[in-house]
Amino acid sequence: MGLFARVGALVTKRQVLWTLVKRDLRVRYARSWLGYLWTILDPLAMSGIYFLVFVHIFRKGDIGHAPYFLFLVIGLLTWQWFSAAITDTTRALLQEARLVRSTNLPREIWVVRVVIAKAIEYALSLPVLALFVIGYAVQGSVALNARLLLFPVGVLLLFLFLIGAGLLLAPVTALVTDTQRVVRIALRMFFYGTPIIYALDRVPSNFETILWLNPLTGILELQRAGFFDAPVAWGAVGVGAAVTLLTLAVGWRTFVRLERAVLKEI
Amino acid sequence: MAAVITTENLGIEFYRSRRRKLSLREMLFRQGATHSPETFWALRGVTLQVHPGEAVGLVGANGGGKSTLLKMIAGVLIPDEGTVSVTRGVAPLIELTGGFIGELSARENIYLTAGLHGLSPDAVEERFDEIVDFAGPQVRAALDTPYRHFSSGMQVRLGFSVITALDEPILLVDEVLAVGDKAFREKCYRRMESLLAEGRTLFLVSHNESDLRRFCTRGLYLRSGELVGDGSIADVLAAYNEDIKGAL
Repeated sequence: MGLFARVGALVTKRQVLWTLVKRDLRVRYARSWLGYLWTILDPLAMSGIYFLVFVHIFRKGDIGHAPYFLFLVIGLLTWQWFSAAITDTTRALLQEARLVRSTNLPREIWVVRVVIAKAIEYALSLPVLALFVIGYAVQGSVALNARLLLFPVGVLLLFLFLIGAGLLLAPVTALVTDTQRVVRIALRMFFYGTPIIYALDRVPSNFETILWLNPLTGILELQRAGFFDAPVAWGAVGVGAAVTLLTLAVGWRTFVRLERAVLKEI
Repeated sequence: MAAVITTENLGIEFYRSRRRKLSLREMLFRQGATHSPETFWALRGVTLQVHPGEAVGLVGANGGGKSTLLKMIAGVLIPDEGTVSVTRGVAPLIELTGGFIGELSARENIYLTAGLHGLSPDAVEERFDEIVDFAGPQVRAALDTPYRHFSSGMQVRLGFSVITALDEPILLVDEVLAVGDKAFREKCYRRMESLLAEGRTLFLVSHNESDLRRFCTRGLYLRSGELVGDGSIADVLAAYNEDIKGAL
């Protein structure tokens, strides 16, 4: 089956996909009444901590754009989506092994549904971001500009990157369970390799080009462009988009190649 | 009539041990099946046709490849060799409670599981009462309690009830022809009979001779992954029993 046939199969099963996404969200919010709060509490708490540490302890208020707290919130909300989706797609096939074994659905569905569910959680956290923006705008420290239109472009790129990474990681984890531990460590390193708590233009120039390879760098550039005056690093956006598409291609190919082995294993 | 299930020289290879060597090269560039002494063929060279309305029983010792064949027909295993084609929809009674989530209520679970097997919410709505009635009064009384609070008997009863309410013309059954207590098992049998009377195609894996004789007309005998018998269920069971006697 070619790539287009596989995408087509996924599209015809969109109702099932939607059922699974709803199930994910319902389980998440049925399990604890704090469900929604958790999705925003974590990034907000981390924003507060980094703000305290860097501004009041290290006295380095200039490592990101001003206002630094808003800079942190945008980055950490996106990071929350990213890390939750990576962690969950990694075990997407293992966790639903019973269903994978008993239903004949396009297998990509188990990965895609996690990314969509996490995207919806991210979308639900955006009103909180809007509140902060309004607050800062009233105060006069933030002026929105037309580049806000780049925000959804960043979201779309991250969505595609997560699907690619998930399609790569899910089957590998089903075959080599240690992958989950490796991913956990890699995620922690990735956090500091991403301009979340610092701005790209504060990075020494020889490191800056390396950071371009991280798709999140370009994605965060797009997402922050509408809120801050700093110029967009288009090099990072271009390279990041290329890496995203490459990840999607390699991920899908790996998934198709390993599908047969995974089905035997789980 | 055209066959609804066709397999052509079907084969699948498994690893003997759980540890498999996985190289990056294999992940990205593997073409076809690999051949090494660490693998064995769970099924090989199976060619068969099943026509609409047939009731086929799969017979054979453990490890003969019965469940493997069933799973390939269900599309949840991909063959390494040959082809399998199924032209109509399939209701797999393989992992009955596979789609159910402990935290959600039975009501939500019915919609979810039926939805996973391709039933639209409207269609579920339509047969919701029928599903619950079949699962029994205990299940009806507990519709809004979390599924994990159900006894295991109630859980499989609900699972059976949902899967057999699907409209699919082909039923694939792996040993779970009847579940629950004696009364419920009798109900399951009656439902199976009425489904067969409607003209559904049945593909049954079972070690229970009376089940096989009761429901199946045709038998297939799998021995060490090879199809060694295909005929009336009585003949195939006789051949199987003959083999067992010879081995003792």
